[in-house]
Amino acid sequence: MMKMTIFGATAVGVGLAVGGVKSGHAEADLISAGTGYQPEQPVQLALRLKLDKGWHSYWLNPGDSGMPVSIEWSLPDGWAAGPLLYPVPERFSTSGAVGFGYADEVVMPVFLTPGPDATGQVVVSAKVDWLTCDDAACVPGSAELKLELEEGVGKPTSEADEIDEAFEGVPQPLAGAQMTVASGEDDLVLGITLPDSVNGEGAELIAATPNVADVSKKVILGPSNDGWKVTLPKHEYLEADPKELDVLLIGGELKKPLMLSWKAEK
Amino acid sequence: MNLKSTFGILAAAVLTSTSAFAIEPGEVAPAFTLKNLEGKEVSLSDYAGKTVVLEWINFDCPFVQKHYQSGNMPGLQEKYTGKEVVWLSIQSGQEGNDNFPVADVLEDKAESAGSKATAILRDPGGEVGKAYGAKTTPHMFVINEDGKIAYAGGIDDKGDTKVESISTATNYVSAALDSLAGGKEVEVMKAAPYGCGVKY
Repeated sequence: MMKMTIFGATAVGVGLAVGGVKSGHAEADLISAGTGYQPEQPVQLALRLKLDKGWHSYWLNPGDSGMPVSIEWSLPDGWAAGPLLYPVPERFSTSGAVGFGYADEVVMPVFLTPGPDATGQVVVSAKVDWLTCDDAACVPGSAELKLELEEGVGKPTSEADEIDEAFEGVPQPLAGAQMTVASGEDDLVLGITLPDSVNGEGAELIAATPNVADVSKKVILGPSNDGWKVTLPKHEYLEADPKELDVLLIGGELKKPLMLSWKAEK
Repeated sequence: MNLKSTFGILAAAVLTSTSAFAIEPGEVAPAFTLKNLEGKEVSLSDYAGKTVVLEWINFDCPFVQKHYQSGNMPGLQEKYTGKEVVWLSIQSGQEGNDNFPVADVLEDKAESAGSKATAILRDPGGEVGKAYGAKTTPHMFVINEDGKIAYAGGIDDKGDTKVESISTATNYVSAALDSLAGGKEVEVMKAAPYGCGVKY
């Protein structure tokens, strides 16, 4: 008990980012849901970007131009980082070009998993690069972000709810959902089936893999007819048949955003 | 006369509505005449029979800056214009907009970027950019000696703003130019362009 108190006292600021870093037209910080970590138990973190008014950052599929966020971790030995997860984006249109991304603020969750021998107070750091654009210009941003975590259960931080919400909002794969992709001359034909308990009617479908499908027109699923058949024009720069395609389904009768994945058979 | 003017209106309408789509490799490169920074007219037809590179530029765009600050783009310009290739850098935009610099300003920007292009052209109204379907800066087109599109797309396969990635990138433009010079087929004829959107 005594030990805990001392440990708590030395851990002021643990679990909190050192502070946001302003670069380009966004302020970035690394936040965590809790102050602690335990070996082999995934820790919930997030990259938060606060964007200047009028500026946006980009989704996995940025659209006709732009760039997704990239992150490079420096972690203690044995620690592993999951992929940076992208919330549902907004659709932008700038002089006729389509873009997908985020305005105001975006919280991008990520899991870090400590190794089996993880011990003591640790610092995790990430080099993050992003691009912000408004209607007239684009400015890149870059930041080295650090976060301290203490060994043990720790305490929830003031950002815990925000991070929980962000994890909840990330499009997820769904057990029982299937997607096939047939490649025609100019079009891709998607065959989508969802479990009976999930109604996709009215959902918008957006290709999450860049440069595979033309995303200039909104695609909305109609009523199910033993699933859905969706024709997407190929992206004008798609050279050969696609090897993989992820699509986002959002809205309509869906209770949660879904991510469907397809890979060509080898 | 009446017929002719109707046709003119139709043609203009078609040009606007097809703005979203880039020209395909193998197609004839659309003819154009634009002014260079001295105000002199430059036409694609001036270079008939030569290999021509078109490069969409915006020196304020970080993707363009990556290829200039690293010396990559000026290096390619110097190398290939030294081999009889014509290199035209084009900025599309709307006259009067802050992001479409007047000729003097564009000249300063090009000079500090170290441009070694044959000419830098302004495309007010963006009609040439739209005719080629130029979407991003940079967006590259290689035109062969027969006046056909030999390559359209990104300068390379690393769509980021990091100078470090140039050394490991596959440069599609130099590959196309080398193939053309060697009388070989261009292997990759199109690849997705990346960068800042062209602000039409």
